[in-house]
Amino acid sequence: MLIYLLKRIMWMVPMLIGISLISFFIMHLAPGDITSNEAAFNPKASEESRQKLRELYNLDKPIAIQYGLWLKRIIKLDFGESFASHHRPVLWEKKDQNGNVVPGMIQKALPITLLINVITLLIIFLISILLGTTAAVFKNKIPDRLITFSVFLGFAIPGFWLALMLIYWLGVNEQILPISGLHSLDYENLSSIGKFIDLIKHLFLPVLTSCLSGLAGISLFVRNGMLEVLNKDFINTARAKGVNEKKVIYYHSLRNAILPLITIVGLSIPGLIGGSVIAESIFAIPGMGKLFYDAVLMRDFPVVMGILTIGSFLTLFGNLIADISYALADPRVRKGLM
Amino acid sequence: MNKVIKNPLSLIGLVIILSILCLAIFAPIVSSNDPNEINVHSILLSPNFDHIMGTDALGRDVFTRMLYGARISLLVGFVSVGISTIIGIIFGAIAGFYRGLTDAFIMRFVDIMLSIPSFFLILAVIAFLTPSIWNIMIVIGVTSWMGVARLVRAEFLSLRSRDFVLAAQSSGATNFHIIIKHMLPNSLGPIIVSFVLGVASAVLVESGLSFLGLGVQAPTASWGNILTDGKEYIQFAWWLSLFPGLAILLTVLGYNLLGEGLRDTFDPNKT
Repeated sequence: MLIYLLKRIMWMVPMLIGISLISFFIMHLAPGDITSNEAAFNPKASEESRQKLRELYNLDKPIAIQYGLWLKRIIKLDFGESFASHHRPVLWEKKDQNGNVVPGMIQKALPITLLINVITLLIIFLISILLGTTAAVFKNKIPDRLITFSVFLGFAIPGFWLALMLIYWLGVNEQILPISGLHSLDYENLSSIGKFIDLIKHLFLPVLTSCLSGLAGISLFVRNGMLEVLNKDFINTARAKGVNEKKVIYYHSLRNAILPLITIVGLSIPGLIGGSVIAESIFAIPGMGKLFYDAVLMRDFPVVMGILTIGSFLTLFGNLIADISYALADPRVRKGLM
Repeated sequence: MNKVIKNPLSLIGLVIILSILCLAIFAPIVSSNDPNEINVHSILLSPNFDHIMGTDALGRDVFTRMLYGARISLLVGFVSVGISTIIGIIFGAIAGFYRGLTDAFIMRFVDIMLSIPSFFLILAVIAFLTPSIWNIMIVIGVTSWMGVARLVRAEFLSLRSRDFVLAAQSSGATNFHIIIKHMLPNSLGPIIVSFVLGVASAVLVESGLSFLGLGVQAPTASWGNILTDGKEYIQFAWWLSLFPGLAILLTVLGYNLLGEGLRDTFDPNKT
């Protein structure tokens, strides 16, 4: 187990270097250099800020040295300052000349996105396990057909369109739910329970929208997993010795069918983080996705590079945690039998 | 082909795909309006006999814009998946055929690409380039080939030691010849399935990008940017938001149904 862990963590190093290479490569896709107007850099930008950008990425040096210097800064977690938002540090808070603490942009945005994604994942799991199991138990009967049909629909509905329709219906027409931001205007005056309810109300639609596609995929995954397990010999044995059907399904089968879900969590992290761009921009939630979108629109390169790198690190880290949990959950892996 | 038609779900998918394709191809015949013609006398008309999907804020006929939008959305879908499939086949074939170090190297590269959130990757590339329909196709293609590569590699690994490959090798065929003439045709099934499913997700990505204003640029109509135009008027012109969304939904549904149907057809083991 320990050796597996060490090996697994060692793997992260070449992966991280690979990610940094790709991110660096993307920055050099721009025709000329990233400060030229052909690269869609804001034509109004002053010569001074262009010079600053050139210095930041050492654009006057050979490309290998540029990469080396950039990597050196990334290792120290120094992502520089934003161009667009008054020199706010991209990653973490810093003291300015007057001794005031200026909060980092990713530092502020990341917890919001993580909160939404964790809630989303939990809901996806609960509902898809329920749906997938039901579909498998009633294979080829009406519940299964209904669920399979909804799964296809869930795959096909564009999330941003659904969000728009929900905003129109629940936010504008019925006025039940707030349609943007994280807090109401009177948030400060609310009691702590009031604050909590306010947050839930604001998160309801964004979470609903981001659940959708994941829900479809994972329900299908649970259904197929359950069908496979239900055909196994040990299930026949359990049934033959008279274990009641509920226990066969919820105890013997489900345990085995949902084990691979842990890996799926790891695999779905990049999709969820990427998907937050659309959900957060529609609902005006100040998370990583919105930050990234705004940075792309304003060609705020340090922020774009910072989020791209941090987003990939998070994915790697998520995969690591998924692999470790899988190893811990599966006794065969835990005891080194596999 | 018979099996595809016998499967009701994939038949529905095929019908949806072909109808939308016909509407897109024959757009000038189906509607005599100009998709970009501005008419101040018919602003924001609700659906009626002359404009079956109403008109937008510039008085343009939404139905006509939807037809021409279908051309753009499908074009982006097909070209970008074409690009990603070709890249995927090249990497997957090389990895699966040569195995060993080459394989390890390519597959680690695939892992790295997969760990960068794809929508971030696409947006980041667009941030450094200018959004245009060609850039969108290339960007989607270049960022979504990893699934195909894994798939082709798996097929090639299992075909590599089959008798007909060994026979071709011992009769002196070049590696290139074996890959193109013998192994690739035998792994076409899963590639076609992933192509069809890929079109569905590319249409979704393109509409998402256009919706964010980073995809196909006005005045060219695409389903995504019709929806963006419509969202400003959602309170008094629901038709501007409803129809493009439904079109995307139907298209994606069609390709997914056909893709799943094909998968069942090609893979007799799966129920």
